[in-house]
Amino acid sequence: MSAKRISRRTLLRGVGTAVGLPWLEAMAPITRSVMSAEETKAPLRSLFFSVPNGAHMAAWTPSGEGPRYQLNKTLECLAPHREYVSVMTGLTLDGARAHGDGGGDHARSGASFLTGSHPKKTNGSDIQNSVSVDQVMAQNLGSKTRFASLELGLEGSAQAGNCDSGYSCAYPSNLAWRNATSPLAKENNPSAVFDRLFGGENAAEKAKSKSVRQAQRKSVLDFVLEDANDLQKKLGTADKRKLDEYLYAVRDVENRLVRSDKLKLGEDGIPNFPRPAGVPRDWSEHCKSMMDLLALAIQSDSTRIATFMVCNEGNNRGYPNIGVPEGHHDVSHHGKSSEKQTKIQKINTFHAEHFAYFVDALARVNEGSGSLLDNCMIVYGSGISDGDRHNHDDLPIVLVGKAGGRIKTGSHHRYAKETPLCDLYVWMLQQMGVKADSFGDSKGVLKVS
Amino acid sequence: MKEIDTTQMMKTWIFIPIYLFLAAPLWAVDWDKRNAEFTTGVIPILKAACIECHSGSEADGGLSLTHFKSAKMVMKERATWEKIAVRLAIKDMPPADAEPLDDSKRKQLIDWINLAINDVECGKTPNPGSITIRRLNKFEYRNTIRDLFGIDYEPAMDFPGDDVGYGFDNIGDVLTLPPLLMEKYLKAAEDITRKAIIAPEPGPMFENFYKLEQLKPKSGGAAKASEITLWSNADIKWDETIPWSGTYYLNMLLGGSRVGNVGPRVLISVDGKKVREIDVKATPETRDDYQVMMKLKAGKRNISVAFTNDDSVEGKVEGKKGQPKEDRNLHIYSVGISGQKPSEAVPLSSLPESHTRIITAVPNVTQGPQDALKKVLTAVARKIYRRPISTTEVERFVALSKNAMDDGESYEGAVQVAIQAMLVSPNFLFKVETPEAKTPEGYPLVNEFELASRLSYFLWSTAPDDQLLSLAWRRQLREPGVLAGQVKRMIDDRRANAFVENFAGQWLTLRKLDMFEPNEAMFPTWNEEVRDLARRETYTFFAGVMRNNLSVLRLLDADFTYLNEKLAKFYGIPGVEGDQFRKVSLVGQNRRGILTQASVLAVTSNPTRTSPVKRGKWILDNLLNTPPPPAPPGVPELDKAELNGTLRERIEQHRADPACASCHKLMDPLGLALENYDAVGRWRTRDAGEEIDASGEMPTGEKIKSAGDLIRIMREKNSEKFVRCLTEKMMTFALGRGLEYYDRCAVDQIFSKTKVDDFRFVTMVTEIVLSNPFQRKGVRDDLESLE
Repeated sequence: MSAKRISRRTLLRGVGTAVGLPWLEAMAPITRSVMSAEETKAPLRSLFFSVPNGAHMAAWTPSGEGPRYQLNKTLECLAPHREYVSVMTGLTLDGARAHGDGGGDHARSGASFLTGSHPKKTNGSDIQNSVSVDQVMAQNLGSKTRFASLELGLEGSAQAGNCDSGYSCAYPSNLAWRNATSPLAKENNPSAVFDRLFGGENAAEKAKSKSVRQAQRKSVLDFVLEDANDLQKKLGTADKRKLDEYLYAVRDVENRLVRSDKLKLGEDGIPNFPRPAGVPRDWSEHCKSMMDLLALAIQSDSTRIATFMVCNEGNNRGYPNIGVPEGHHDVSHHGKSSEKQTKIQKINTFHAEHFAYFVDALARVNEGSGSLLDNCMIVYGSGISDGDRHNHDDLPIVLVGKAGGRIKTGSHHRYAKETPLCDLYVWMLQQMGVKADSFGDSKGVLKVS
Repeated sequence: MKEIDTTQMMKTWIFIPIYLFLAAPLWAVDWDKRNAEFTTGVIPILKAACIECHSGSEADGGLSLTHFKSAKMVMKERATWEKIAVRLAIKDMPPADAEPLDDSKRKQLIDWINLAINDVECGKTPNPGSITIRRLNKFEYRNTIRDLFGIDYEPAMDFPGDDVGYGFDNIGDVLTLPPLLMEKYLKAAEDITRKAIIAPEPGPMFENFYKLEQLKPKSGGAAKASEITLWSNADIKWDETIPWSGTYYLNMLLGGSRVGNVGPRVLISVDGKKVREIDVKATPETRDDYQVMMKLKAGKRNISVAFTNDDSVEGKVEGKKGQPKEDRNLHIYSVGISGQKPSEAVPLSSLPESHTRIITAVPNVTQGPQDALKKVLTAVARKIYRRPISTTEVERFVALSKNAMDDGESYEGAVQVAIQAMLVSPNFLFKVETPEAKTPEGYPLVNEFELASRLSYFLWSTAPDDQLLSLAWRRQLREPGVLAGQVKRMIDDRRANAFVENFAGQWLTLRKLDMFEPNEAMFPTWNEEVRDLARRETYTFFAGVMRNNLSVLRLLDADFTYLNEKLAKFYGIPGVEGDQFRKVSLVGQNRRGILTQASVLAVTSNPTRTSPVKRGKWILDNLLNTPPPPAPPGVPELDKAELNGTLRERIEQHRADPACASCHKLMDPLGLALENYDAVGRWRTRDAGEEIDASGEMPTGEKIKSAGDLIRIMREKNSEKFVRCLTEKMMTFALGRGLEYYDRCAVDQIFSKTKVDDFRFVTMVTEIVLSNPFQRKGVRDDLESLE
């Protein structure tokens, strides 16, 4: 075969053969060797985990300060990675406070955890939060990977009723906010995550060549964009906002079609990881399965930014297998009962152990001269401190990872009263290469080492 | 009760606001007068009695009153003031440990608040409100796909983004569309169309491009790797083994030099027989693709490409010695042959019903693909968009399909592509409404198609069926009696089960039952099967009241329920055999209505014990629509570090704190009355060895001894409150938006029309459907313009 130059239309007659289309140039996997020098340096990742209902701080806060600190009971499970673990004591999430809005600390702290803003109290008609730190990163760096960001969790949104004292369920169920009004829903089904990441396909889909499918998808998306633009002209303000969301979503999916060449492991590159069968019944298995997939997503550089909601804020599930059959939220209102506080600590430890499982997974993957963990910044914690008092200062927060060597070793930091949690986010934004000197209610840049 | 004097009424428990709803004035609000009253009459009382605790960011109960500067601001936050009026009326504010408020001032305050917040103009054209465009939620999507294609698309249950607002998951303002969901919609559209329509599998492909240097012309030209040049009448020919008989394409990239503006003529022959002649218009600079269709028989074929009109014009060309002035030559830059085996037709017998229903036309001798597509796509688009389709829209669908066909897609495959676009279009995914602007006569009606969709998504959680759509086509949906008849038909239809599950399931918070995992050791008879049966009991019971058009009050106090053997055993009710649910009399049993059903009792419990507080709050939230204020931030710590004694004793100790007492005295007696039902709803007389004491005193003084008394009081004294609560919840679900102050006009009307028919279920639904907010589109008026 030689001197081949042929129109796209002619080529498409060849259904069943692998052909490239102009907008899908370079479908072949890019390997590190052909990447630019800047790209060959291991990329930095930012991941955010939230756990609900605060923590029993007496068992969380380490003793001692600086690099020689002693891990406390709850976080003991992170001991194997101690040099990567920075415990940050004394941070505050002011946006989660009532500020005259009354109850609803769970909804507020969920909504505020990554935005640092004070969400508007509403059951729905005028949801108002602000963009979350992960999305600021995604909007700046997202084009480098197939997924600008991943939003994961173990449960969907609440199913019925008021979520928390007159707050819409959008607040306690979403960490990632694309802008003030659009939360980014999370995926909680492991098999669906797998399919998104690595394109699980059924037989019918495989019958068509990938490029033809992509071409048809593109034509469908172009078509509906036009539909939406037509419709936009006929609608009122609130409706337009919804259509804007629609348009953004369509364009985002279109961009992803174009970026589908960035899967570095190739189509069959995950040989030893079976597609999960669905949502496991056992909580622990479910959690681990989702964490495995997040680790795979990082490993395959499918994304560099992710949020993981271990539970929705205010969650009230029981954990009978660790001796806490009562609901988590109920027990968190311990009324200083030492029995209940012990139970809270048990749940905290149980969650932390799962987080440690994820940290282990990253530590096992080599990257450059170290492991993935060297090139990560992972925030883990809650926007509530004591679940009984609902206070939002002295938060339980850890930062794991060495941020590409920018943190030498883990330490226990005690920050001045009222130091905003957002100061940490400003520091992280800067490490990610985002030009920012403030975020949310930040007052400066947090000193982390 | 014989004579009702107003002070007595004040004491009547939590139902005072009933009279708030009566006879809203028909005149416009006199804001100046109202403001003056507020400044001179109300603010001084507030300052004296309330502001001390209720001010600033650390205000008690999270309620700060300092920012209310005018009557309009009171109107704007009317829900808050409604609660204030209630709390004042039952005299739990100011609290017992505060400075007392004398009765005349209390009355003055309550009267003014009620007057101010009920000052809604219900005249000729009350604002029917505006529904923000609603995306189909996952249940609606799944049902709609089922009704359109006969396919149960189960993966829809994993669709994200259906957040809850105002207690329901169908609220336009709250339903978002994250990119993750768009991805899933796209995938779903592909999966669904492939299941609904069977496109023939594409046949194998044959393709061969030739190395040019191997196609040397015998004479009159030359061949190299990059091109073949023919400079006199000459040809290239070669043999090809054709794998199957059928249509093939000769694909060539050509250019030619010209004489007198005429380019080369090229003759293509197979086995010495002429196939076609083409004129090459492209020059060597503009080289272009040329494609010739050939019908070829399988086997060895000899193919030739000949240049037939060589010519040249002699003359001198500056700088080019010895070359003719004009010389016609043919340049061949690539040549190849391709073909695809025709796909095998799918046997009719293996086509799904949806395929034959959708593909009502195929291209044939009498109609080209365009005409067939037009017919098929118009019909299907009407169903998918739930409205008529404009010519422009049809043309766009046809063009989309036609493009796919031009790119090699089969006819059926091309129809799939157009339907995929429909299923991802906002016209399908959203309940689109585009009514006219307001006229002097009032707010516009939504058109009949939009009305049909409002109806069907309200009562069926799915698209309107043929009957509704054809009524809309004939503009008969609003003819007298038609809507009422349709409501009745729809309620009797099986699809109304979706209303039971989606409305009652959320209203009664039963969807949360899945998350309730009681301690197995303590409640061994409860398991997932019992849980599902218990929920089914409540759904069946609700459906029974609905389909038999009973009074909605029966939900509170019915002396029957629906059980099967397993569930009856769980309850300890004898005489029910078999798996089938059937109506069971509760005469002689300790149970009446939803409050005593296991589903409700369990969903309001903790995993290890009952929660009288949660049960009480549940009743206030869901049956009386008077949610207690949230616990204040930083719940005051109790003096005693730990409470002790029985559950009731602990609750009473808790209530001893005046900061807690004001709300807990509303909730606790309601929940304690249900203490004879354990955390999974079984009847009991003892708890942890202690005799159960279900007695209590209602905040307004009635003494009750049992759940039976509670239900009786609910029925006798709270029926109107309950009916209004249900009406408001149902309207929220029907409209897909939170209710606003101006909706009170409609609620009043629905209430009074339902009342004259003994609060019958179907009447309530019908009146909601006939109400202005359901029929019209108004404006989104949240008093933004008021300061």
